[in-house]
Amino acid sequence: MENKILKKDQIGKLYNELVGEYKFYAPKNHKGNISFEQIEKPEDILLDYLNSKIPPKSVLFPKMEVLFEYTLDDKDVEITDRQDLDEKTLIFGIRPCDAYSFELFANFFSSHGNVKDEIYLKKKENTTLIGIGCNTPRTTCFCTSVNGNPFKKDDMDLFLTDLGDSYLVEGISDKGKSLIERLSWLSNAKEADLKKSEELAKKAEEAIVTKIDAKGAVKILETSFEHPIWDEISEACVGCGTCAYLCPTCTCFDVIDETDQYNKRGRRIRIWDTCQSCLYTKETSGHNPRNTKIQRCRNRIMHKFSYYPKNYDLLGCVGCGRCVYLCPVNNDLRVILNKINKIEKKEEKKAVV
Amino acid sequence: MGIDTENQEIENSIREIAKKLLSENQVDVIIGYAEGTIPLSSTPIFIRKEEDVNKLIWNNLCYINLANYLVPLMPQLCDSEGNALKIGIVAKGCVGRAVNHLAVEKQVDLEKVKMIGIRCNGIVNRSKINLEIGEKEILEVSISGNDIIVKGKDWEKKFPYDQYINDLCKVCKVKSPSASNETCVGECEEIESIHDEFADVIDFESKSSEEKWNYIKEALEPCTLCYSCRQACPLCYCNLCFVDQNLPVWFGKTAELPDIIVFHLIRAFHLAGRCVACGACSSVCPVGIDLNMITRKLEKIVKDRYDFTSGLNAETLPPMMDFKMEDTEEFMLEED
Repeated sequence: MENKILKKDQIGKLYNELVGEYKFYAPKNHKGNISFEQIEKPEDILLDYLNSKIPPKSVLFPKMEVLFEYTLDDKDVEITDRQDLDEKTLIFGIRPCDAYSFELFANFFSSHGNVKDEIYLKKKENTTLIGIGCNTPRTTCFCTSVNGNPFKKDDMDLFLTDLGDSYLVEGISDKGKSLIERLSWLSNAKEADLKKSEELAKKAEEAIVTKIDAKGAVKILETSFEHPIWDEISEACVGCGTCAYLCPTCTCFDVIDETDQYNKRGRRIRIWDTCQSCLYTKETSGHNPRNTKIQRCRNRIMHKFSYYPKNYDLLGCVGCGRCVYLCPVNNDLRVILNKINKIEKKEEKKAVV
Repeated sequence: MGIDTENQEIENSIREIAKKLLSENQVDVIIGYAEGTIPLSSTPIFIRKEEDVNKLIWNNLCYINLANYLVPLMPQLCDSEGNALKIGIVAKGCVGRAVNHLAVEKQVDLEKVKMIGIRCNGIVNRSKINLEIGEKEILEVSISGNDIIVKGKDWEKKFPYDQYINDLCKVCKVKSPSASNETCVGECEEIESIHDEFADVIDFESKSSEEKWNYIKEALEPCTLCYSCRQACPLCYCNLCFVDQNLPVWFGKTAELPDIIVFHLIRAFHLAGRCVACGACSSVCPVGIDLNMITRKLEKIVKDRYDFTSGLNAETLPPMMDFKMEDTEEFMLEED
């Protein structure tokens, strides 16, 4: 399959051609908050951006989602299931780290025996990802330390590289390749374009300045559950949900039943939830196994860097850095992981002496 | 004298006092600010050893209200028997107000808390600067003279300090803690009452109900319900927030705008006569929501009707916790 070129002034054309068939999502700037929104005017699409503040998980896993609605009379309950799950969705302009997070989501929602999150998985199946490489990663990005890369292509259907006034278009999956065939007006890429894209990819990888020994941390965490380091790590935390809500891999949700007894109807809703909330593990008896901030902060780190590797042989972090630069009190994940990595060194030293 | 020189002097005095308090065992731990790992930030730090006092800093990015860490008291600030340690706390004016107010509400024992008073020169409005810089990574922020200098790769932008501090800081009347030398070491003065014109609220007050409603709706639209505003608020210390109450459910928890508005407005009402105008709620909001116009309006109502300002001393009960038999309550049916 030949690589193609999409000129920047052809984005509108691409949008117009696909919007009838797909719900078209792309990054949009709303007063400094960039999130993936359903696009109504192609000029709202923002591709010259670092990364969205709200991760694109919000497209398939919005902060609030109605799972089903129901009506009831004296005898019967009638449930109306979601009708929109077969609709096709296209996410345009997604970054490699976030595209990878969709794989982690799908894995999580399908790997608990027979219990599968059909709503998420159905939507995921009907979603096409057109991603874009990161020419200028942030200094807080660390994807290369967690199995990622600013030009990681394999989680996308189509991969774009910003060449300046145009994008190099590469078909990655079969879905992506057939999409390229459909967009027959795309011009062919030249040798020089490919070369430039390779150079950009190399430069981008070099621009990732944050390096974290994630594997080392995974190993140390296996034996650090009771370590006093958690007292220190959790001290400044205020216990809000920013790190979890804006994390592309955090999957937790709460379920609410809303009943409108006057109109005899109701709906079951899921909303984002976070292990940082004191209610998260509170049991009906009143007992709370994670009653302190220390335990809750530990859970977030353990979940991503210990339970995830143990249960799925994956890391639960894609290195986007959102929790690093959006934490209200700058409780920096990079610092936390470095502190964890130092636990071992201290103990090794002791052993040598 | 530029802001940078002022900051340096404040920082030196914090370190000096902290060292003295720790060496004389007057306190067991000091809560202060440390350098953040990313530009436009700072991070709270807990210092227990004399040799660590140089990690304490002061600059105009010290936006967290440290009194937040006093209630509820975390295990790290208690001894092995669960009793509170003696705590030193770096206190700008609004931290002092919060400590006082928490003492009034019997949440803090002033015998156990020593304020390290400083005269705050205002906190940088982070979201305003972030908004103006847009999609470019900020690599360095410094204060030189009276300018905030923001640098990135191949670019630099200057922001005049007086225009880019929080709106609350622009009208602040309690820059250092209102406390006696007994509870506060360092800068402090006992303020009995303040005079405030509330000029910043007049414009909002003159809006029609519909305009006010639109203002609130528009401001709250991006809210993700992460509750960082509540979590960073020193006065939001309820064991169970009304919005988390689920037996029975009192308020909806969906992310639909009506539920979001109910949460924020009821939280604001709960802070009437209690808010200490520190602006931590807006400084920590990851999506840049600033509802301080509402809390200022509430502060004004409380001042007009009860001549009360929260946190000026550790004795006077706030209006919502107190009553007098001669209270006329003639405004009970007023609409505004």
